[in-house]
Amino acid sequence: MQTVMVIEDDQIIREELTTLLKNEGYLVQITAEFETIPEQVGSIRPDLVLLDLGLPGRDGLSLCAAIRKIAPIIVITSRTSSLDELKALDLGSDDYVTKPYNIPVLLARIKAVLRRNGSEAAEPDILEAAGLRLSLTRGTVTAFGETAELTRNELKILAHLMAHAGEIVSRADLIEALWDSQIYIDDNTLSVNVTRLRSKLQELGMPDIIKTRRGMGYQL
Amino acid sequence: MTVREFIYDRLGRIILQIAFLLAVSAFLFATGTQAGIITILLLVCLLVFTLEQLTDFWRSKKRLDELQAIMSGLDQQYLFTECAPKPQTLYERKLFELLRLSGKSMIEAVSDAQAAGREYREYIERWVHEIKTPITAAKLICQNTDSDIRRRLSQELAQIDAHVERALFYARAENPEKDFIIRETELSAICEEAIQTHRTLLIQNGIRIETGNLKEIVYTDRKWAAFMLGQLLQNAARYHGEDPVITLSCKKLGQQVRLAVRDNGIGIPSYELPRVFDRGFTGSNGRKRGGSTGMGLYLCKKLADALEIGLQIQSEQEAGTCVTFTFPAKANLSKM
Repeated sequence: MQTVMVIEDDQIIREELTTLLKNEGYLVQITAEFETIPEQVGSIRPDLVLLDLGLPGRDGLSLCAAIRKIAPIIVITSRTSSLDELKALDLGSDDYVTKPYNIPVLLARIKAVLRRNGSEAAEPDILEAAGLRLSLTRGTVTAFGETAELTRNELKILAHLMAHAGEIVSRADLIEALWDSQIYIDDNTLSVNVTRLRSKLQELGMPDIIKTRRGMGYQL
Repeated sequence: MTVREFIYDRLGRIILQIAFLLAVSAFLFATGTQAGIITILLLVCLLVFTLEQLTDFWRSKKRLDELQAIMSGLDQQYLFTECAPKPQTLYERKLFELLRLSGKSMIEAVSDAQAAGREYREYIERWVHEIKTPITAAKLICQNTDSDIRRRLSQELAQIDAHVERALFYARAENPEKDFIIRETELSAICEEAIQTHRTLLIQNGIRIETGNLKEIVYTDRKWAAFMLGQLLQNAARYHGEDPVITLSCKKLGQQVRLAVRDNGIGIPSYELPRVFDRGFTGSNGRKRGGSTGMGLYLCKKLADALEIGLQIQSEQEAGTCVTFTFPAKANLSKM
């Protein structure tokens, strides 16, 4: 498990961020003492620091330079100009996210930085659930020894359903998950894609594996 | 200054002079001076007076032309008195002195107003940054709650966020201090940022987005460009028709890169098209649907001008709207 340290002076954001990150499976360390941040980071040795630049009485940018040697940093700030961003990246932060961030975007950035710094394993290439075997890089699904090729949309839909096998995934959640992967589709297109996916799975001998739960969503 | 204006200006003096000559002639005639002598005297006097007026005319015309040339050559015309030549007459000296005082107080007033504008802008910027903390907190609280409420509240928060962002860019656009950075950016990064910023609104309106090849490199400020693109996405989401699709595509035009944002929404009436970039113009669509501020496209135009991006709009009612950004070639960017 990776440790993420949240350095943020707003108490509510700190608490909610902690809840969010814990739900995502990270260990979270927080601090409310901003005088000795480099020392604290040094003793905790987190895999990633989320650093708010607007700490009371501290110059966030110089902090950034001090922490950089210990752990990778994602700078979080409400300052939105390109100049601020450039300065932060120059001082060695790994990424830069502006408030109010989109939560899926923030989580994706956290994952990306952790992966780049080698503390998180790359996304598994093969997903297995409900008798299906999905290869993300090749874009193929295998069942009973037969393989079918999937389009990008179908692949992402199936991957999301397989990652939540057994759960009911609402159409809205599915659409949001697809938008996270730069597939910007609407409800109708989702239906069309699910229909195509089902017929491909049927040819593999897996009819009705994606169940429609009326008024709730899909379930694998 | 024309002769006519000059004579009209001096009419009183000229009449007085003529009347004086006539009175003197009458007096001389009455006291027995010969008519011939009086005529000669009169002619000489008239000649002298006319010559005097003519030189006067010529001199003041020359002087005025000189001052006018200085004025039109000035970049900051309110600095006229600082650049005017040395006053030649007492009257001119006094007049220039008055002008200088008036100019000075005007410059003070202007710089006061500029300072007030700057302070106001700084306050808006600070306010925007402060308001973002509670918005972030609210978003996080939302994320950690039940999904139906989360979705509904997220939509409202996204709207608040969009309004706040517009206020920030309004403050920046109205006070054109150059706080953008031109950098090499892939177009897809700008599009991705704009789409993700407005995803709640777009998903809520059932929008599908099709992106062509957006691998071209442009030279611009990523944040500003993403903000402008975001305004268009919001418009497309707000004024959508049946089965809404937004298409983002780009094309290389020599050294320039053109990004086209096409929607199949309700379109804009042709007679309103010339005014869509005006400040506060909401048009018939805005009035029908409500919630329009008339600021989005206005800000786009302002920011595009500052970044030297060409901005064009085409629209057909019931068919859709297409807005294009033409990003300048690197070599053509003037020093900013």
